[in-house]
Amino acid sequence: MKRTWPQSIALFGGLGLLAAVIGLPFWWVASGSIKVPREIISRVPTMVPHSFTLQHFEKLLQSTDFPGYLLNSMVVALFSTAFTIALALPAAYAFFRMEFPGRAALYRVILLAYAFPSVVVLIPIYGLFARLGLIDTRIGLVIVNIAFALPFSIWMMRSFLASVPREIEEAAVIDGAPPRVILLRILTPLIAPGIASVSIFTFIASWTEYLFASVLIVSDAKRTIPVGFAGIIGQYQIDWGLLLAGATAATIPVVILFAFVGRWFVSGLTEGAVK
Amino acid sequence: MKTRLIAFAGFASLLMAGTAYSEPVNITFWHMEQPPHRVQRMQELLDEFNKAHPDIMVKQEPQSWGEVYAKAPAAFAAGTGPDLLFGIPDFTTVIKGIDAVVPVDDLAKEMESKHGFVPATIAPYQYDGHTWAIPAYNMAISMWYRNSEFKAAGIEVPKTWSEWKAAAEKLSVDGKYGVGLPANKQLYTDQTVYALMVNSGAQDIYNEDGSISFDKPETVSAFETYGALQKLSPPDSTSWTWGEAEACFASATCGTILQFSVINTYETQAEADPADLGVAPVPHADDMTESGTISYSNAIMLTTKDEAKQAAAKTFLAWLLEPANYGRFLTMEPGLFLPVTNDGAEAESFWSDPVVTKYKSQVETMIANSKNGKLFGFTTGKVFPSIGAISGQNVIAESLQKMVVDGDSAADAVKYGQQKMSEIAGK
Repeated sequence: MKRTWPQSIALFGGLGLLAAVIGLPFWWVASGSIKVPREIISRVPTMVPHSFTLQHFEKLLQSTDFPGYLLNSMVVALFSTAFTIALALPAAYAFFRMEFPGRAALYRVILLAYAFPSVVVLIPIYGLFARLGLIDTRIGLVIVNIAFALPFSIWMMRSFLASVPREIEEAAVIDGAPPRVILLRILTPLIAPGIASVSIFTFIASWTEYLFASVLIVSDAKRTIPVGFAGIIGQYQIDWGLLLAGATAATIPVVILFAFVGRWFVSGLTEGAVK
Repeated sequence: MKTRLIAFAGFASLLMAGTAYSEPVNITFWHMEQPPHRVQRMQELLDEFNKAHPDIMVKQEPQSWGEVYAKAPAAFAAGTGPDLLFGIPDFTTVIKGIDAVVPVDDLAKEMESKHGFVPATIAPYQYDGHTWAIPAYNMAISMWYRNSEFKAAGIEVPKTWSEWKAAAEKLSVDGKYGVGLPANKQLYTDQTVYALMVNSGAQDIYNEDGSISFDKPETVSAFETYGALQKLSPPDSTSWTWGEAEACFASATCGTILQFSVINTYETQAEADPADLGVAPVPHADDMTESGTISYSNAIMLTTKDEAKQAAAKTFLAWLLEPANYGRFLTMEPGLFLPVTNDGAEAESFWSDPVVTKYKSQVETMIANSKNGKLFGFTTGKVFPSIGAISGQNVIAESLQKMVVDGDSAADAVKYGQQKMSEIAGK
């Protein structure tokens, strides 16, 4: 069906508006990070920078522990994502395919863990982790991130498993494949988009997690970006250039990562479809 | 025989070495000065102290004000709390409430006789028969303006509320705002509103018996003036914290603001002339004669029950307040942190800092203002535990929002505040 001119204008106008709504805040932050301080706080804001400086990035990298925070965030987010996928996939498969007493009830109950505001369990978790020696460790953060991401990840993954035609599994069963092989060799490639979605969800949740990271981590050397960054900025006096440079730098690794990961997963999806 | 002698001598030397060398007493110090330059300055001081005191090892662990109210009690409950903990008066009541703080009466007395505390800085920590923390630095709100703008508009520095309002109206030209006052439900608004309350005689929010005395004509008067000035503030000021007000002033958008200090931002971001920066006491009500302000005395609590650690921590605190060291501690944030001791206010180590030297007259005014500082809930010599919740829930700011955002009258907004505070105090 061919679009008429008014339809095209409406479509592209709508898309342009949407892109502006999503992109403008990012542009504001990124462009501000290369302005001189006086232009950043100027009474008349400038959409396109009138000045150019890298002083805020230099300060960020030279006078702060930002690279360390970045590394900590990477480690915590990647491990949280990997373990969540590793646990959510078989759990979702079990809920989807295996028969065991209370399956339906348990499937609903696990989402209850997601319903608790994290602040409610903050103090009990602190006490528990203190006894286990997990305070001020990145492992502690990974465990918390997994605990909070897993219920929703299982639900998401199960929905993707349900979209795979049963005939494919049945063919594998006829060929004598056990459940482990069916899950890893047959279903996993077919639900690559689901794994990508869960990965993105878990990674972003771990990357931006603030509450537990701020309370469970005590030493500066183990802080993640959100907490370390909040400290860099300070309370009474704000270095706006540093703030914008930090916000930009914190976003870049995520954008790069998902530019590659997203493409890889789309490729996996296509291969699965051909198969 | 010779072999025996050698063996004996060897054994004796081993024993002596064992007694001569012992593990240093480790002190964990939590403070909330997280910006990197402050952490760095603190580390320089700690390195110096640790080197001069080989039997003590003080380690800093910077925390955030945003989380420490939950984190510190959890850490103490789990047995992983620090030995020294930074605090402000209302936070100290929280830590005292969980029995984690140890009185420092003897050290406070010793420091008082040696250095002389500014009374307004130690008073909020003296109640229930004890001193609960050693003051470290003071922060007090002042009124900031630009000399050149006042001169161009033909304005004298306002001393009363009427003069301030008239000045703000004159400065509100060409897209500029004569004043920048916040109306956010946040601590900064608590502070600026209270800065006006102090200047109308409404500084006491508690009666002697612990009941609330917020609703009185002086508070209503402060609210009315604040409301009138707030109308001359930028429209986004209902969501401001300290940083936005500073930026408004530094960009010459706001003619006057109430702030602890703007020196750092003015110096590093506004790139303006130091001589043009004006600072004055917060204007007072027309029927008052002297200006007061809100001041936050930040202090250090002793939070270990271990006697060896207590002694080591006290050694460190005494060392920190020595004028030669204290000035360098204060200038970890030059132009913001003010001395709490009389000899600290004269210390060469403080006045020799380049930024302090550059803004000497402004810093002198700030120090003078800070001596008239008060803090809500800590003005009567009696401290009631509910102040922690009243401060934490920003009830003063919430009451102001009733007037500025919801359009209630000043009297109704103050009545609301009285009711809310009474509910909290009654729990």
